[in-house]
Amino acid sequence: MLVEHARDLAGILDAAHAEYGTGGTAVISLLACSLQGRTITVRLTPSSQLATLCGSLQAVEHTTCSYGLAPEMQHIADQHGMRVAAVDDTGEVRAVERTDHPFFLATLFQPQLRSAPGHPHPVFVGLLKAALARA
Amino acid sequence: MLIDLAPGQRYRAATLTALEHASDRQRASVEVRVVATDTIDRRLVADPGTAVVIGPGSPYRNPGGVLEVVRSARERGIPLVAT
Repeated sequence: MLVEHARDLAGILDAAHAEYGTGGTAVISLLACSLQGRTITVRLTPSSQLATLCGSLQAVEHTTCSYGLAPEMQHIADQHGMRVAAVDDTGEVRAVERTDHPFFLATLFQPQLRSAPGHPHPVFVGLLKAALARA
Repeated sequence: MLIDLAPGQRYRAATLTALEHASDRQRASVEVRVVATDTIDRRLVADPGTAVVIGPGSPYRNPGGVLEVVRSARERGIPLVAT
């Protein structure tokens, strides 16, 4: 989602994901400190769709990520209809969402790992609500 | 749901289960079509469905196809979550 945003909307035509090689401008790069298998606390942006769904300005999430938005590309997460929805305790972007779309959300953590019977993760509830509203 | 992880793989199963939990909450019947990225075709790009989940497990076998689906969902107002 971030690579598509970078290429199609931010004008970085050669935007690339470092996991696929070294060509182009790496919008997604290897994290200096891998978050593979970790639990992180994220701060949610007030008035973001994610914060509204979670009903909180903080969430504890599981992550399997080794890659993230490159440090020098953090600014594109707040441009061209996208906004930062969550940051971690280092201030790095951990979730983004579109402001010009009914529901368009990317997380650099895995909300599905926190879902449980009777306690669905708000991200997936939000997705289904948006889908039902559109159907 | 676009995902290349094999059936039974933990994160694939967790994503499908999370959708079940959410559909139970919404009292909605949800049919999930699981698509390996190397089978993305023009028809899927033109009509990605009611909602799209980009599952975990990169690198994808067909990252270009994933980008096309993301673009299509964005332009058509189709709800999307990428994890």
